Order: sequence, then structure tokens, then C-alpha cells
Amino acid sequence: MIPAQFDYIAPTTLDEAVALLSQHADDAKVLAGGHSLIPAMKLRLAQPQLLVDIGRIKGLSYIREEGGQIRIGAMTTHYQIESSARLREICPLLPEAAGQIGDVQVRNKGTIGGSLAHSDPAADWPAAALALDAELRAVSSKGERGIKAADFFVDLFTTALEQGEILSEIRIPIPKARTGQAYLKAAQPASGFAVVGVAVSLVRDAAGKCEAAAVGITGVASKAYRAAAVEKALAGASLDEKMIAAAAAHATDGIDANGDLYASAQYRKHLAAVYARRAITAASR
Amino acid sequence: MKIEGTQEISADRERVYSALIDPAVLQRCIPGCEKLEATGENTYSARLRAGVGSIKGIFNGAVKLEDMQPPSRYRMIVDGKGQPGFLKGSGEIALDEKNGATLITFSGDVQVGGTIAGVGQRMIQGAAKMMATQFFTAIEAEAKARPDEPPPTHGFFRTALRWFSGFIRRSVAR
Amino acid sequence: MAEKYVGQRVKRTEDPRLIQGLGHYVDDIKLADMLHVAFLRSMYAHARITSIDTSEALHAPGVVAVYTGQDVSSKIGQVPCGAALPDLKVPDHRVLATDKVYFVGHPIAAVVATDRYAARDAIDLIIVDYEELPAVIDVEGAASNSTVIHEHFGDNIAYKLTAGEGDIEAALASADHVVKQRLVHQRLAPIAMEPRGVLARYLPGEKELTLWSSTQIPHLMRTQVAIMLGIPENKLRVIAPEVGGGFGSKLNVYAEEALLGWIAMQLARPVKWIETRRENIQATIHGRGQVGYIEIGCKNDGTITGLRYNVFADMGAYHQLLTPAIPTLTGLMLSGCYKIPAIQMNTTAVFTNKMATDAYRGAGRPEATHVIERAMDMVAAKLKMDPVEVRRRNFPTPEEFPFKTATGLFYDSGNYVGALDKALEMADYSKLRKDQAAARKDGKIIGVGVSTYVEICAIGPSAATPAGGWESATVRVEPTGKVTVLTGASPHGQGQETSFAQIAADALGVDLNDIAVVHGDTAIVQYGIGTFGSRATAVGGTALVLALEELTKKATRFAAHLLEAEPESLQFEDGKFSTDGKSVSIQEVALAAHLARNIPADMDPGLSATRFFEPKNFTFPFGTHIVVSEIDRDTGDVKLTKYVAVDDCGKVINPMLVEGQIHGGIVQSIGQALYEELVYDDQGQLVTGTLMDYAVPKAAMIPWLELDRTETPSPVNPLGVKGVGEAGTIGATPAIVNSIVDALSPFGITHLDMPLRPELLWKIVNNAG
Repeated sequence: MIPAQFDYIAPTTLDEAVALLSQHADDAKVLAGGHSLIPAMKLRLAQPQLLVDIGRIKGLSYIREEGGQIRIGAMTTHYQIESSARLREICPLLPEAAGQIGDVQVRNKGTIGGSLAHSDPAADWPAAALALDAELRAVSSKGERGIKAADFFVDLFTTALEQGEILSEIRIPIPKARTGQAYLKAAQPASGFAVVGVAVSLVRDAAGKCEAAAVGITGVASKAYRAAAVEKALAGASLDEKMIAAAAAHATDGIDANGDLYASAQYRKHLAAVYARRAITAASR
Repeated sequence: MKIEGTQEISADRERVYSALIDPAVLQRCIPGCEKLEATGENTYSARLRAGVGSIKGIFNGAVKLEDMQPPSRYRMIVDGKGQPGFLKGSGEIALDEKNGATLITFSGDVQVGGTIAGVGQRMIQGAAKMMATQFFTAIEAEAKARPDEPPPTHGFFRTALRWFSGFIRRSVAR
Repeated sequence: MAEKYVGQRVKRTEDPRLIQGLGHYVDDIKLADMLHVAFLRSMYAHARITSIDTSEALHAPGVVAVYTGQDVSSKIGQVPCGAALPDLKVPDHRVLATDKVYFVGHPIAAVVATDRYAARDAIDLIIVDYEELPAVIDVEGAASNSTVIHEHFGDNIAYKLTAGEGDIEAALASADHVVKQRLVHQRLAPIAMEPRGVLARYLPGEKELTLWSSTQIPHLMRTQVAIMLGIPENKLRVIAPEVGGGFGSKLNVYAEEALLGWIAMQLARPVKWIETRRENIQATIHGRGQVGYIEIGCKNDGTITGLRYNVFADMGAYHQLLTPAIPTLTGLMLSGCYKIPAIQMNTTAVFTNKMATDAYRGAGRPEATHVIERAMDMVAAKLKMDPVEVRRRNFPTPEEFPFKTATGLFYDSGNYVGALDKALEMADYSKLRKDQAAARKDGKIIGVGVSTYVEICAIGPSAATPAGGWESATVRVEPTGKVTVLTGASPHGQGQETSFAQIAADALGVDLNDIAVVHGDTAIVQYGIGTFGSRATAVGGTALVLALEELTKKATRFAAHLLEAEPESLQFEDGKFSTDGKSVSIQEVALAAHLARNIPADMDPGLSATRFFEPKNFTFPFGTHIVVSEIDRDTGDVKLTKYVAVDDCGKVINPMLVEGQIHGGIVQSIGQALYEELVYDDQGQLVTGTLMDYAVPKAAMIPWLELDRTETPSPVNPLGVKGVGEAGTIGATPAIVNSIVDALSPFGITHLDMPLRPELLWKIVNNAG
């Protein structure tokens, strides 16, 4: 549990950080909260030559509203999100998901940006980012760009971030009135990671029917995904028990589920439907 | 761990087969393969920088092709060892013609040991699928490339993204 | 003696330093010039080592030395096995692998370097060529496996043993029903919060070796390591500093402990090794690991006629200190708290390519209790009787003690029905059953599980233990009147610094804060056996009581001399000796004894006493645990909605410590019942290699525990205490499993093997295959 040798630089500006990344290319890794990368390094499964610690860069940790969006700095900790009274009011899915990550120590150190960029197939944030239609801002020495959450998660531990890019900010459209949200997960008892995690954000019309729904699911496959078939079934539907169950049954349509020692692919798919049903029900209350 | 699956490649069977047993092509297509040198008939020594995301390891080992029946089937045996553990596998690869395309059916057994086995069990299925996808995606590009063209380069992650959905139907069981 | 402290909820005097981070564990001890050791461990379960090349590692920056099995095998003796059984095969167990590796985690080479990082880096530079061999993993198949781990033994059988009394064939033949069941006790990792660690220092001038080790048995370790290293035992000092939990895993002598000592002697520099959690899971002993077949015979009225248990016990690749003895403890306790006229256990102990099993909290008794408590429930199911009723019918009455079992034990004292009735009342059992029936009609899956257990503690009579079963204590009243207690027990979380101080404070009438309980240093404390087997208070506490009595007698004579009175005329109360209006305090007596100007001619100066206690028998605590569980039909998740435990550990010194022990034990039981399992794949890879996959229960997974006690004093020792360290892991596991099996009985389930993970239960409920 002792990492291999590495160099460490803690730049104080984002410009410096991206310059370091483009300079060191494949050999460098960005260190955010360190709650995924450091364990992997201690097992020597990850052996980066250089850690670029972005924890000393000022102005990467914030939650603000701007341009109709919630903007969250990449270095904002899970705990900061969990404890934000304003987020509880305008986008409760975020604090709800944050509060279910790991344990208190992890939430105090781990960051939303670090988790998203790591793209663990069982992490909680990817489901939330998908359900909230987040835009992830990536900065590199060539400039800045936005990546839709739906395009961001590519495969196991693999994102659309290019070599030399740093995830700097998460932008989420401020949910409309009559939006209901929920994040529910079955946690693996050892790791606390999601065996299945379902994030739901839905908007009801004046009559109480579902106007639109977004459902993000993590833990089931090699990456988190939007459950398009569930969303389609919910759109325009009345949110009664039967409709919800029928929609939730599509939670893993077209998904190649993974199994492990704790939960087989078959069980994971079943759990996804159960948790989708429960999360949609919770969101529609 | 059992790995089985099928992969359809839109290129003709002879070309796919010759790509699959061509060491130069294999070196380009095996994810992270940095070296593949012949050490005997159909036997190669290989160096792989394999992994997913930031989790990577260097493996040295041997690849052997056996029971070669062009263009329909062969057997591949892989044995690699590195700091994060070891990796051993053998599998049957069968090629069938299907409407002008080639249907590859593979089934095999993979054993991992060391740190990757001890700490990575929740990831192994996903990683195996990801690497298989990368490999066959690259093979398809090779088989479709015209002989006079320079060999394609494989940006694995991007290519994997493009081809990921739809093509792979396999089941992986412990 | 007035009981001012004994029986009170005195707060642990250990805690202020621990919760402030001021305790000193092995890793907190830093010596000048200290080197660090890292181990290369096998990644194969079974392989021949064809070559080891350490040259590159030797030249790595900071590396001082690299040792392999070839370097040390002729210099260091075998890792000891203390268990003696007829025809036991004991493999040659060297501190580092020589020609073969036998399990994942088997140490192959040790790198010594100037810091931990350099040592670890150099490990990756050692090149080992292996010839892989097939691994022997399946416990039941090991005996007949054509692959033989220790080739010269000819097979993988470590020993075979038949134990028990009574005519089992006749007993089963006379039964109206014989219930049979295969049952698995999965392998568990003890996971002490502090992993193992060793610091060794050698003084070449004095020829003195000191080992600081995170151990439960400093004195036994001193003896064994002195033998292994071939050095005089009186030149070896073992110190167990603060020890962060052991659960039996540190009741052992490990290869690393002797090897570190040897390295320190070679280099004449201090060397330290701190186990990583990966190493801790791979290469610290495991617990449980039995696959058994139960046959239990019963009459139609529920009377048990006999029990046979044929078991395959997984030793792992080597024997550690007590490995082969653990299944014999299972055999001893198979009678549970029932009158069973005939019991037979047939053990086939096998070698497998895994880490050794050994004592893990309960050590063989949780297995026995699980067997008998599951069997009683299966009998109840067969007879369609209430499981409580079946138990009640087979209890011995309190008048029948000492109660002899067909396993050859004499239970000291007990009131099984008393604890059962109290628990039933606390849980409102009849209402639970009514509620269950109603809930089932509503489609809920609810179960009620009961376990009535008895266990064996206060280990133990020396005749029944490999290295002495007594314990020692010294009490000294220092010239300033402060009291020092030296105990041969070696507490590592149990809180005996507090409870022993309570005993001494009451006996001497002094303030609790004036007492220091010292343990765990072989240069300071007289020889002791250590802390394990729920023995510290029942055996070590009794030694302390004997020493206090002797010291008080001496003090009485000193006091009588000072007061110019007859010793018999003195009253001793609240720390004062008095007679005829004159008095002298014990502190004054101690100073007078120390100054020795005015003491009886036939007495030595100073006020101290050392006593040893040899128990005549074990003690047998018991109790009843009742668990209500609810299973989520959709997910298979289990919720323990009620937990009631009534434990009887005899007389209680400190109820808070007793509750703490029960809490911890139940939590570990919940771990075994629901979450924990060490999984080796069929190649022998340990795939639950970190706490990301090996699920130790967290606080949030634990239900509210409603505890109470009955108090049946043990006649075995003057304190009347029985022991409580392992009761939780012994009584709780079957109660939890019985509850879940009861919940699933409408689905035709009569038995399930642990851990009861949600997917398994979901499949049963949904018949999903």
C-alpha cells in the first residue's frame, strides 16, 4: 500500500496546471480530492510519473447561480454540495446524491470534478450529472469547451476528456418549477459504491402528468448511462404506480450489464428496475 | 473467468483471418501492445501496456497461435506477467461468413492473478469487455483498409466509443 | 472487601489517550537509525520457485539487504505449531518460502531499506521465476486431490480425528427422525483495526534483542522466537505496546516476528515492518473454514437422541500456532446447551493452498454453536414445533450442574431457561409470532430467530492447553503508596487496565487513579500466558485476586506490627487497618515495609505479592439471542428490525465493558451472517483482497441492540466470573441466520449458508434460479 515514486507539483493557476499537463502528456495525472487516484496508486495499479495537484488553485471550489445555470467548481467537495441549503431548494438531487457517497471522510475530501473525471463505473455523480443534463467544462492550453454529460462517459474509467484537459466546472440548468428529483442507490456493503444507483429528475405539467424525465443509472454497466427507454415511457404519462413500474422496467434496455462477486449481471438489471421505480416514485411525490 | 461473445465485422472472411494472425496487425490492434516479436512459428513475445483509465500495468509475455485452419478458426494462447499480476488465457476464435461480412465467435478462459485479481474483481468483466471491443474494432479497421493504404492508427478510446453500442453481444461469467 | 468499583460502569481509563491519538502502537515507536522491511509475496497459490534474482533490488537506492528463503532457512527455526494431536502432520514451515510457494501472500523475500518507500520499490525489482502448479482449493475435495501440497506427506490430510461419547449409531437409529444438512462456515478475515507490526532492536554489546510486536501473547512469543532464533530466552525482550485489536489473529507467532529479530541481529540496526491491509487480509491468519455434514436424531416430542458432525476443516497451507486445534474446540462444544446422549464428530483436516486458519474470535465455538443451533431449528421445522419449545425440552435444569456432555466436558453452572425466559419477555416473543403471522398475510417476509448458546471460556486448565493455561499477577504497593498491578494477561482493547484496577482498588481500599495496570512487557511483567479465549478476567483476574489476598495478608502483618496488635484483631476497611481506635493506612504500611526499620523479623521488606492461578475447569457462559429480520421482496435486502440479547457471563466487574464486548461480538457476527467472506477463486487467487470487496460491517448497518444479563456465578474461580470476549460472535450468528431462514420458511427453505447476501435471498423469494 505504498505508491511508486512520483513527482508532485501544485500549481496555483489553472493555466499553469494545463501547461504542465500538455508538457508531460501521458505521464501526468491530475490530483483532485485524491479519493480514487491515491488508493489506486497505493496498490500500484496507477503509477503516474507526475501528480498535478489542482487543490491549491484558487477559485475551483464554489456553488453559484449564473445564466440560468447552477455552476459548481470542479474542486467542490461532496460535503459542500451535500450541505448546501440553496441546492436543497433548487436542485435537491445534488445534495441527495452527495450525501450517499462513501463516508464522512470521503465526502469531506472527495470532489465532484475528481469523481466525474475518474468515471468509476459505480460512482454516484455520473448518474446525477446525466439526469441533470449537466454540461462539463474542460480547460486545456488550447482553450475551453463544454461536453454534455451524455457524451462525457465513454467506458470504464474513460471519459471524453482529451489529453491535457482538466474538468473545471459542472454546469446544470436550474430545474424548472414543478421539478421532482431523487437519487436512490443500493450500496455495496464493503465499498459503499453503487451496485445500482438511479438519479431521476422529472418535470410535471400543471395537471400533474410527467412532462419530461431524465434518468441516469450508474453501477450496472461499464459506464453510467441515460435510461432513454424509461424517459420515453414517462414522457406524457400520468405518474401512477402502474405507469411508473412499467416505465422503470425498461431501466436496462439495450444495456450490457456487468456482474461481479457481489451481484450478478442479472441481479443488477433487476435492481436497476426496482431502484428506477423507487426513484421515479420518490421524484414524483 | 469465461469470456465468450460474437462480433460482426464488415469485411470478408479471408481478410479478417489474415489480419487476425498477422503479427504486425496484432501489434497494432492488441490494446497497449508495444512489442510483438516472433520467437518461433506462430509464437511471439509481447510487451503490453494494458489497462483502463489511470489504471495501467506493463505485462511481458507470450502469444501463441495454434490449430490454425484458415480462414475459419484458430486458437490463441496468451500468457503475460507484470508488476500488477499475471494474465493467462486461451480461446477459440471461429470465423463464419455472414452476408458478405464475417462473424467472429470467441470463447475462452482468462485467469488473472496478483493485485489485479485481488483488488479488481468488480472491474474485471468491464475491463475484459472493453479490451475485447478495442481489439475487434481495430481488427475491423485493419481488415477493411485497402492493402495499398498505410495501416490505420487506432485511437482506441474514440474508436471504442464509436463502435461500442450494438456490435458486441457477449456474456462474461466468472 | 467493599465493592466500591466492582460492578460499576467505570469509564475506561485507556480511552483518553486513545481517543486523543496519544497511544503508542508499534508504528508510533521510532528508533534512531531504524531500517524498514518490505516483503515480496507470492502471487501464485501453488508454484515451484525455479529461480530468484535479487541483484537489481540489492543495488536499488536505499536498499541495505535482501534476504530469501535460501539465506535464512538454515538460520531460523520453523514457525511453531503448538497443537498436539495424534498423527498430526506438521509441514516444515520456514519464515520465507524456499523451493515452493503455497498460498497467495506467502512471503518469498524481505527487502531491508532506509525507508518504507525504498523497501517497497525494491520489491518490484526482484525477479522470481515460477513453475505454476495446480492449486488445491476445494476443502471437501482436498483429501482426494491428486495434487499434493506437501509432497512427502503423500496426501493433503493433516489429521483425522473422531471424538465424542455415546453410541451414535444406536442413538440415531432410535430417533423418530434424523435431520441431515450440509453446512458451510465460510472463511473470514479477522481485520483488527491495527494490522500486525514488528520493530526489532539488537544491542550487540549486551547481546539483547528487543521485539516490539502487535501481539496478544508477549511471553509465549518470547519463548518461541528465542527457540526459532537459537538465542537465550533471557536475552530476548518482547513488548506488546498498544495493540489495536487482535480477535485471535495476534494469538500467534508469525514468520515476520522471528525474521525481523534475525535481521536486526544481522545488521545491528533497528528494523521495522508494518503490515499493509493487503498483507493483513492475505497473510494474517483467517478464521472458520469448515464444511460439515450434520445428522441429528430426534424423537417426536423434540428430544434429541444424538448428533453426528462429519467435517472437513480447512487448515490452509501451513499450521500456525493453533491451527489444527481449532476444530477440536468445535467438537467440544457440539452439545450446545442441550442434553444429547450421543455425539460424534469426525474431522478430516486438510491442507489447501490458502493462508492458515487459526483462532478468530470464538475459535471453533461459533462453528459448533452454528451447527447445533441450526440443527435445533431444523428439528423444530421437521416436527413443526416452535424452535423455543424444542430448545426448552432439551435443556439441563440448573440443578443438573455441573453438567456432563457427551463431548467430555463438565459445564460449571448455568440457568439456560432463565436467560431464555428473560429474552423472550424482553422481545415479547409470543407477540412477535402473532405479528409475524399477520405480516405474512400482508405479503411481508419476516422472520424470528432464536439462539440459545453456551460457550467455553477461561482457557484454561493447563492439561487442556499446549503452553500452560494458568495466569499470573503481581501487586506492589510502591513506597509512595501508589499501586502497581502487573498482569500476565495482555489486553489489546478489552479494557483490563480499567477492570483490573477496579478489582485492586476495592481489595486495597485505594482510589482507582492510584492504580497502574502494567502488561505486555516481558522484561517488566512476570511470565504470563496472554489474552485470548475469554480468559483474561476469569484466569488473570483470579490470579490478581489471589495476589491481592496475599498482599493484604502481608500488609495485615506489617500493620499489626506497627500498631502493636495481633493481626487477627485488625479490621481492614477503606484502605485502613484499625484496632482499638488506632489505625494505619495501607500506604503507610507500604512505606514502613519499604523502609524496613520496623518490620517483623520473619518478613522480607517491601509490600508486594505474586500469584499464579491454575483453573480447575473451563467456565461456560451462556445466553439467548433473539433476532427479528425483514427481507425486502424486491431486492432481497435484509433488515434486522429487532435484536435482543440476554447474556450470562457470571459475575460482572464492569457492565460497560461487558456490553462493549457483546456489542463488538454481535457486530462481527452480523458481518459473518450477512456480509463477510474470503473468496479464493479456483486458481487460489484471493479475490476479496481489500476492504473494497471484503465487507466489514459499518455502524450504520447495525440495529439497536437491546441487551440484558442474568448472573449465574461460576464456581470455578473466586470472582465468579466466566468471560465474555467471544460470546457475541458465538451466540449471535445462528440467531441471525435462524431468523432469516424462518422468514423464508414459506418458500420451503430450511437452511442457508452464510453470508446471506441480498442476491441469494432475492433469488429464493423470486424463484429466479
